[in-house]
Amino acid sequence: MGKARRPVQIIVLLCIVVLGAYAINSAVLGRGNDKPVVGSKSPAVKLLGLDGKVHTLDEYKGKAIVINFWATWCTYCVNEMPALQQQWEKWRDSGVIVLGINTGEDKMTVTNFTQQLGTDFPILFDTDNEAVRDYGVVPMPTTFFVDKKGKIASIQQGELNLKTLNEQIKQLVQTEG
Amino acid sequence: MIENTKCECGHQNRVGTVLCESCGKPLDDRGNSKELLEMRYDGVARRSQRVNPNFIDRIWNFFSSVKVAVYLIIFTLVGAMLGTIFEQESNFINFDPSTFYKNKYGQIGEIYYKLGLSHTYESWWFVLLLVMIGASLVICSLDRVLPLYKALSKQRIPKHMQFLTRQKVVYQGPVVEEGSDWVERAVKPLRKKGYRVHTEKGALLAEKQRFSRWGPYIIHIGLIIFLLAVLFRGLPGLHYDQHYWFPEGEETKIPGTNLYLENEKFRVEYYSEDEMSEAFRKTGKVVPKLFETKAVLYECTADCDDPSKEPQLKEVKRHAIQVNDPLTYKGLRVYQFDFDLTPKLRSVQPVLVNKVTGEQYGKFKLEMVNPQQEFKLGPYTLELKNKFLDFSLNEQGQPISKSKDPNAPAFLFVVKGPDLPEEGSQFIYFPKQIDKERFQQDAINEKLGGLQNKLELDVQSMEDVDIIASSSYLNIRIDRAMPFVWLGLGIVMLGLIMSFYWQHRRIWLRIDEGILTLGAHTTKNWFGMRREVSSFLSTMGIEADEKSLENGGE
Repeated sequence: MGKARRPVQIIVLLCIVVLGAYAINSAVLGRGNDKPVVGSKSPAVKLLGLDGKVHTLDEYKGKAIVINFWATWCTYCVNEMPALQQQWEKWRDSGVIVLGINTGEDKMTVTNFTQQLGTDFPILFDTDNEAVRDYGVVPMPTTFFVDKKGKIASIQQGELNLKTLNEQIKQLVQTEG
Repeated sequence: MIENTKCECGHQNRVGTVLCESCGKPLDDRGNSKELLEMRYDGVARRSQRVNPNFIDRIWNFFSSVKVAVYLIIFTLVGAMLGTIFEQESNFINFDPSTFYKNKYGQIGEIYYKLGLSHTYESWWFVLLLVMIGASLVICSLDRVLPLYKALSKQRIPKHMQFLTRQKVVYQGPVVEEGSDWVERAVKPLRKKGYRVHTEKGALLAEKQRFSRWGPYIIHIGLIIFLLAVLFRGLPGLHYDQHYWFPEGEETKIPGTNLYLENEKFRVEYYSEDEMSEAFRKTGKVVPKLFETKAVLYECTADCDDPSKEPQLKEVKRHAIQVNDPLTYKGLRVYQFDFDLTPKLRSVQPVLVNKVTGEQYGKFKLEMVNPQQEFKLGPYTLELKNKFLDFSLNEQGQPISKSKDPNAPAFLFVVKGPDLPEEGSQFIYFPKQIDKERFQQDAINEKLGGLQNKLELDVQSMEDVDIIASSSYLNIRIDRAMPFVWLGLGIVMLGLIMSFYWQHRRIWLRIDEGILTLGAHTTKNWFGMRREVSSFLSTMGIEADEKSLENGGE
């Protein structure tokens, strides 16, 4: 019986260490309300696109993505739209996707808006605010720069700094996929 | 040094054994002590007691120590107290902790926040203390319960003379009859008292309520379940705590679930003047007495995951939610939290009127969100070109919407029909009368094509206006860990009852050459034990005063 005890001791201690580490980890990380941060994986989305088809982030696997949360009534969002369009045109051949997630507006409003501004990067509708919740978006606009591995490289809250936008995308492209 | 642990009865005991596992002879001294015996764990060695403890044994010993457990509990209590000094971050929905504590409590608040005490119960050190208490509970129990179980499940009936004379309740005296006859005669009265009696060659063991010995370990199991439930509450799917707005008359999806909640009707009642105290009336505050959301919960049954299709819903629960009376469904609870009585326009049903002839061309329904894009009314066709829910003009004089809420909705149509240009004529429509005047609908239409003199959109009665009268702010909670918390606490209660309401009582006796030696042990209530032994002896014809049975020891 003396010999059988050792493995039992080791198993019990290991269980305690593993469960304990997990508990501490989830308690400390759980505080942030599961908001994605720089370095974490970009949360999956499944949304209806302006083109009438259902889109997910998996479609853009292996590509760098600039995810922009916006609305037509948000002045700063409107201001940065032309720059996003410009960067989309510049980088789309290098495998960069610019994705606009519209928060809670209807198709007509968005269609009119994009036609007026002449943007043609993919737009998705976040009707039930699911993506807003998963990405923990508070102010608008908020832009997530996601690298080719699907990890969030940086988060920009508020209007994009147009000078560094190009640089940020360049860095995304250069990271190894 | 190797300790000799072999008893004179021939039994090889383990290191740390206090009383021989077989005959009960004390192993701690040479046998001349008169001290009462240490009966904890029946004198068996705890598992952790070893001759040469190595690294793992040392960790094991640390956690199996009751002293360590007591310190851990004290540290945890002190830590938990720190968290009650100021409010915790988790109490708030939206706030900035980095400024809140400083503004409210000054420098001390700042220090409190910097030390991380504003989230004491989620901090690594607090959780670590809980984990260590858990480890202590598991290891303490394993260390003691198995040896104790073995010791109690195979007790040898004849015990060493010293084992008997060094119990707390002892009787020694002569008996006249043959030893085995006396023992035989003793069985019946003991059984009557509820003991289970075992005899062997002039020796006897009577025992009752042994199960109460497992009480403390049951408590431990309950506490472990409780701790696990508390520690793993944060696992995905186990816990959910969010607040959302639910506009009246709408089915709103609860994000992250496949449930939809419809706020059928919201109502609020206020305290009337005469219900308030004099002092309160002076403050001029209006205090709600009751607010209630008539809610219907739906579960999505098909097309839930496809945003291009309408989800198919099935009603699963209906409840009027009031404060402290939530809707509950499979562990989900929906609490009334707040409300907003700002009315919002949902749709209007205007009639197209020919201003010249006074002719009316029928009603159509104009929704604020996702409106139909083309309407045929008499000879006219109205094509919806654009809409602005919160109409305003920007610096360049272009129409924009200030928000997504229909505060000042405006609709731009292209109207085609008799006496109008081929490509149609533009016409803007403000459903709210106040906006019509504020933004000068007619003046804008004059610029757009002068249609205001020919046609008019007119809402003829309030029945044609659909309004979201209010919105209810509800708190959605799922706490699937709670049943485990209650289960754990229930088991703890069971253990407490087991160990508090019953006592494990044992009586050993042996007769050597006409001399009866009796020793008795109980886990508590020694007075009761003494009385029981005394009454047993008197039924056997031996008069022994209760007090004389008490063995003073040294």
